[in-house]
Amino acid sequence: MIITSFQSGQELPEQTMTVNREKLRAYAMASGDHNPIHLDEEFAKSVGLPNVIAHGMYTMALAGEAIRLWVRLWVGSDKDVVEFSTRFTKPVVVTSDRDTTITFSGRVGEVSESEVTVEVTALCEGVKVLGQTKARIRL
Amino acid sequence: MAVHGPELIGRRFSSSLRNKITADSLDVFARAIGAEPGSAPPTYLIVFSVKAAEEFLPTLGFDWSRVVHGDQRFLHHRPFAAGDELLSVSEIESYKSLAGNEFISIRTDFSDAVTGVLLSSTWSTLVFRGEQS
Repeated sequence: MIITSFQSGQELPEQTMTVNREKLRAYAMASGDHNPIHLDEEFAKSVGLPNVIAHGMYTMALAGEAIRLWVRLWVGSDKDVVEFSTRFTKPVVVTSDRDTTITFSGRVGEVSESEVTVEVTALCEGVKVLGQTKARIRL
Repeated sequence: MAVHGPELIGRRFSSSLRNKITADSLDVFARAIGAEPGSAPPTYLIVFSVKAAEEFLPTLGFDWSRVVHGDQRFLHHRPFAAGDELLSVSEIESYKSLAGNEFISIRTDFSDAVTGVLLSSTWSTLVFRGEQS
C-alpha cells in the first residue's frame, strides 16, 4: 500500500500557487465575502493597508488544495479532511501589476492506521502568512 | 464604537437562513480556489459561517466594516455534499479587548436541516479593529 509511505516527520514537496486580483474577485463571488479590502485598492489604502490583501480564507483554501494534492500524490485518491485549522499571521498583499506567489510546504505529523496529520507552512515573499496550520485526514 | 465585555460569552444565535449546498455553488467555490469541480473543499462551509456572523454580530453593535480574520478551524463530523441543507447555531465562546481591538471567537454548529444530525462545527476568531488602529 502506498499509504504506509506516510511517515511522521516526512517532508512533503513544495507547491507554489499564484494569487492575483482576478482570482480574488472570483473568490469573493464564490464565498460571498465582498469586503472591499480584498477588491478595491483605494479603499484598502484608505484603511491603512499597503494595498489590496487576499482573503485569509482564500489562502487557507489554497493550503487545503495543496493538502489534497499531497494526499493524492501519496495515496492515489482524495481523502476527507476531518479537521483543518490555521491562524492568519500576516496579510498576502496583491498588487494590480503582477501575480503574487504563495509557497506551501508540508510535513507529516502523527500517523495512525486510519488518520494522518499534515502540518503546512505558507510563505509569501519569504514571510509566513499562516501559522499553526494543521489538517487531520481520514485515510 | 460599542464597548463590549465578557458578558457576551455564551450568547447564542440561531440563523434563520437555510443553507442549501447546491452543486453549482460547490463548483464555483472549487473553481475559485483551483480545485476540481465536483469536489467539496474542506473550507467551503465558511460561506455559511460568514453569513451567520454577519447576521449575528451587527445586532450586538459590532461594526462589520472593521473586521479582520484572526484564526479559523473546521471539524467535519461527516462529509457534506450537494443537496444538503444545513441549519446553523452560533455561540460566542470567548471575548477579549486588547489595545482598542476586540477579539471574539465564535463556534458555529451545522446540522442537517432534515435529520438534525450534527455535520460540522467551525470556529472563527474575528478581530474588530478599534478606530485608532
